[in-house]
Amino acid sequence: MKQFKHLIKPYIIWAAILIVVPLILIVLYAFTSDGNEVLTLHFTWANFGKFLETTYLSVILKSFRLGILTTLICLVCGYPLAYIISKYSEKVQSFLILMVTIPMWINMLLRTYAWMNILSDNGLVNNLLKMLGISPITMMYTDFSVIVGLVCNFMPFMIIPIHTSLSKMDKSLIEAANDLGANPFQTFWKVTWKLSMPGVVNGVMMVFLLSISTFVIPKLLGGGQYMLIGNLIESQFISVGDWNFGSAISLILAVIILIFMSLMKKMDKQDD
Amino acid sequence: MKRKNTIFSKLYVVLCLAFFYLPILVTMIFSFNSSKSLTRFTGFSLRWYGELINNMEISKAVYVSVSIAILATIISTVLGTITAIGLSKSRKVLKELVLTINNFPILNPEIVTAIGLMLLFSSLGMTKGYLTMLLAHIAFCTPYVITSVYPKVRSLDPNLANAAMDLGATPYQALTKVIVPMIKEGIFAGALLAFTMSFDDFVISYFVSGNGVKNISIVVYNMTKRINPTINALSTIVIVVIVVVLLLGNLVLPKLQASAAKKMKPRTRRIVAAVTAVIFVIVMGKWTIVSQGSHILRVYNAGEYMDLSLLDKFEKEYNCTVVYETFESNEMMYTKLASGETYDVLVPSDYMIERLIKEEYLQAIDWKKIPNKKNLLPEVKNKDYDPGNRYSCPYFWGTVGILYNKNVVSQEDLDKEGWNILKDEKYKGNLYMYDSERDSFMIALKALGYSMNTKDLDEIQEAYDWLIDQRDTMDPIYAGDDVIDNMISGNKAMAVVYSGDASYIISENQDLDYYTPQQGTNTWYDAMVITKDCSEVDLAHEFINFMLDDENALSNTEEVGYTSTVKSAFEEMKNGTYEGIDSYIPKIDNPKNEIFGYQKPKIKQKFAELWTKVKAK
Amino acid sequence: MSNKLIELKNLTKNFDDQQVLRGINLDIHENEFLTLLGPSGCGKTTTLRIIAGFEEPSGGEVLFNGIEISKLPPYKREINTVFQKYALFPHLNVMDNIGFGLNLKKVDKSVIEQKVKRMLKMVGLEGFEKRDVTLLSGGQQQRVAIARALVNEPKVLLLDEPLGALDAKIRKQMQIELKKIQREVGITFIYVTHDQEEALSMSDTVVVMNNGEIQQIGSPTDIYNEPENRFVAGFIGESNIIEGTMIKDFLVEFDGFRFECVDKGFEDNEAIEVVLRPEDLDIVEPDQAKIRGTVRNITFKGVHYEILIETELRTYMVHTTDYAAVGREVGLKFGPEDIHVMCRMGGY
Repeated sequence: MKQFKHLIKPYIIWAAILIVVPLILIVLYAFTSDGNEVLTLHFTWANFGKFLETTYLSVILKSFRLGILTTLICLVCGYPLAYIISKYSEKVQSFLILMVTIPMWINMLLRTYAWMNILSDNGLVNNLLKMLGISPITMMYTDFSVIVGLVCNFMPFMIIPIHTSLSKMDKSLIEAANDLGANPFQTFWKVTWKLSMPGVVNGVMMVFLLSISTFVIPKLLGGGQYMLIGNLIESQFISVGDWNFGSAISLILAVIILIFMSLMKKMDKQDD
Repeated sequence: MKRKNTIFSKLYVVLCLAFFYLPILVTMIFSFNSSKSLTRFTGFSLRWYGELINNMEISKAVYVSVSIAILATIISTVLGTITAIGLSKSRKVLKELVLTINNFPILNPEIVTAIGLMLLFSSLGMTKGYLTMLLAHIAFCTPYVITSVYPKVRSLDPNLANAAMDLGATPYQALTKVIVPMIKEGIFAGALLAFTMSFDDFVISYFVSGNGVKNISIVVYNMTKRINPTINALSTIVIVVIVVVLLLGNLVLPKLQASAAKKMKPRTRRIVAAVTAVIFVIVMGKWTIVSQGSHILRVYNAGEYMDLSLLDKFEKEYNCTVVYETFESNEMMYTKLASGETYDVLVPSDYMIERLIKEEYLQAIDWKKIPNKKNLLPEVKNKDYDPGNRYSCPYFWGTVGILYNKNVVSQEDLDKEGWNILKDEKYKGNLYMYDSERDSFMIALKALGYSMNTKDLDEIQEAYDWLIDQRDTMDPIYAGDDVIDNMISGNKAMAVVYSGDASYIISENQDLDYYTPQQGTNTWYDAMVITKDCSEVDLAHEFINFMLDDENALSNTEEVGYTSTVKSAFEEMKNGTYEGIDSYIPKIDNPKNEIFGYQKPKIKQKFAELWTKVKAK
Repeated sequence: MSNKLIELKNLTKNFDDQQVLRGINLDIHENEFLTLLGPSGCGKTTTLRIIAGFEEPSGGEVLFNGIEISKLPPYKREINTVFQKYALFPHLNVMDNIGFGLNLKKVDKSVIEQKVKRMLKMVGLEGFEKRDVTLLSGGQQQRVAIARALVNEPKVLLLDEPLGALDAKIRKQMQIELKKIQREVGITFIYVTHDQEEALSMSDTVVVMNNGEIQQIGSPTDIYNEPENRFVAGFIGESNIIEGTMIKDFLVEFDGFRFECVDKGFEDNEAIEVVLRPEDLDIVEPDQAKIRGTVRNITFKGVHYEILIETELRTYMVHTTDYAAVGREVGLKFGPEDIHVMCRMGGY
């Protein structure tokens, strides 16, 4: 079987060039200034120092707040859905999971545009309210619209791993808990919830990762003032043109995410 | 313990699905709308499906999305599968290392991966386009394939391959006849995941593509300016295709397999081979078409800033191919240019032209080759950004002003307060600012009575305070081009817009009018320039000349709504289509009006930073 | 036996269109070790699950101490279950698994600890409190599962094929231990198995089920020695089943001969079936027996030989310690007490 171990070689080269080198480049840019030229490297901490200004720190905080809120909503709304789905017969289950998956195939931007039309001041919801004689509500360019967009786009990423762990769960464990005197509520907290933790952790990681780094949805649904880390990075590269600062923010974001991920993984292991 | 789901839980499922499908449903319904509105259904029509067929940009994007998704899926599935098999036989240290590295693109935020790849391609000096997009897609798809195949490989009996080889199979046969069939579920799941990721990707494609290569997401993103129901028609088709494929996959396939289990196999294999071959032929065909066209002109223009039928006309008249690409902002254009991409003709704004001239990106225009220059309005010629028009030929021009709802905002307030009306608390929460640091600082500086080209840090600080103050008291929305749709729908009472957009918006919503304050505003000129490394100099000149043609200029200004720099077209519009819409006629007689000048990087950076701070509350 | 603890009255159960229980009537007494025995799909597990409360019967009653409980949820029943694959909670250690039920009842921590320790001692797992249940062997998991159920001091312990996943040697050992535990705690055990040897060696009462119906209820010896029908006879041990006629009390006719027997109470000339256990048959010289045949095959089985003897009408199986060469003409001898007469039933 030793022959097969050579099969890994192409990917080692590939990964070195397309995964490792880009990361090194980001680090390099983050620690240099004025340097799109390789020959005139000036190492500096300035890009990180700049980040400590309150404005940028508040961007990070806002991103975190939004990321946590979105993740929480996805969890609170997605868990019951995954739970209910897992109670159906296998046929219905796979149908419902398919229904949850299909929207992920439709272009995210298109769905976001549709939300713009639904939520705008003269949009579908407000038109409906007007017909009912209720005064219109401003929904666009608020936390609400951004969160609706994020939740709609990312909730399937929460539902699917939770459903997977719920449906994999040995049903006799539930019966065992019942048998030992746990009422349905106790059974849920002491057994079902605990055993679905791997799915929950996976879902939380996915949704948090996606929502903390997104820039398109906040830009479209939150307007230009909705500045998150993703938007900050994008603007550094696309409009400001400060690639060094942009790389530094990317690096910070990547490090934060990696720390968060390893924390979640540890939590998951301790739970076992 | 099979507890039946209650009515309540069924209702919950329905509600959740309704939430997921609401935007999709809206998209589908409005693809059949007879008008352009995305909020009012005015009648059933197939108009947008017709336009879809004729829209070259979208059909090219569909082709790019689909072909990249298929190629990236095939390549990443093969690469990921052999790597997963190799991994299971590797030493522990190597295995851990590869798996860790493999996790980076999955765990890293997409935008970080995108930026890393962008930096890689630009440091390697690769021209961004189809190949870079494909490489990037393979790069982010393969890790997903590996993570779904590797567990299956690991759970295999390690003796399986040995048994096969013991029975006389070569290692290759052991691989294809024993191992691969055993892990095909994992491979299939990985391939499906790869296809989904690739087909839907926006962020990575956005950063690594260029030279006219766009996938559906990028086209959609560039459409913010004027949301076009054509794209709704496209997504309706995509939805229908997906549903049909899924139905076929879930209902018909199992039946087929059951009925003709073994006999089908060689045939299906042949079909798969044939399909793959056809795809490759198409891909290669497209490649050769692109590279064969003897003369290619690369034009880089702002989004929704040209009557695209003119491009077809030009291609036919001059027997060439135009690769037309659009940018969101001058800065984005500059970034692309600076990252080493090549274009022949650009259409930047005044200050950017000044910068490009200074940084020697441009070559002088040979005016002898442009007989139509006689058509130009005298007002647009010989401006400060390019004295004597050595490098640039004016394309559109206009001002920045306030678009307001006549029923809400009084003319009196406007005259009295000028730009400061944007701080009038009567209109709190009822206005859009334009998400651009230059235009916003221009407003603040003008309101304070300073020059918008000031280099005085104190004045800049004052302007910054003005903007912060405005932000805190007025709750403005810093909108991008979505302001156009919003104002047409009458969502807010005021917006800062370019005069050209104002003309178009007013033509769609008669309640609005356009105002340029007495404190002065920005008069701007967008002009066509030829890059230094232009490889089709003659064709570039012909293109500029073509755009100055009376008839072409008219159809261009009619389509876009911006003010033409060509005299006949300008007059025609002024007295015709846009009669009474005075935003079409830029008021340039105000001595306080200014043109943006070149900013030193330090000042520019300062503005950018301050603007970021204004937005980041 | 003491008083009735559980009464099943005309219990039926349908899954979709399929009837899996067709009217079960059964009394279960205090301190009884009762086994539901039958092939898979016979309805024994369903019966158990109805007693536990995991299924609701489609018809009939379940009385517990005389009170109808078929609608009572499992967590309100004084019944605990040991599951087929133990169903130990993977996220809890041994201590917390066993203490699960007591924790729910808000029993004091120190009391729980004490009780758990006592249980662990009883099942022979002292010092295992902090172990991860997923890392225990099958036998150890089994003991934890039993301890987890018993610590709640239920009136009845239900065991659903608890030894099915263990290997033969541990199975034997656990059988003995289970019986010991039952005697120690002195409560009712309801045990489900398809293994007749397990059923016979542990139970006070064996209930043989097939196709959703009870075939016979009785002590292990009754079930073995006096099977009531062909199914029970065939399912329990190996047997030669021969159709015959009951001429009158104490006289039966089969294979063309009349034999004296100990059975009575049938109608004269009733068509019946006769069970002859292979170990009850002796091989003798042909002239010493009525039934004669030729040795066709002989297999060494360790304790005995299994010999197939072909007669005119059928092939008999004989278990004996004597060797008989293939081809030898022999006679088959058995006494009146070796003949078990049962009603003839269709179908099986």
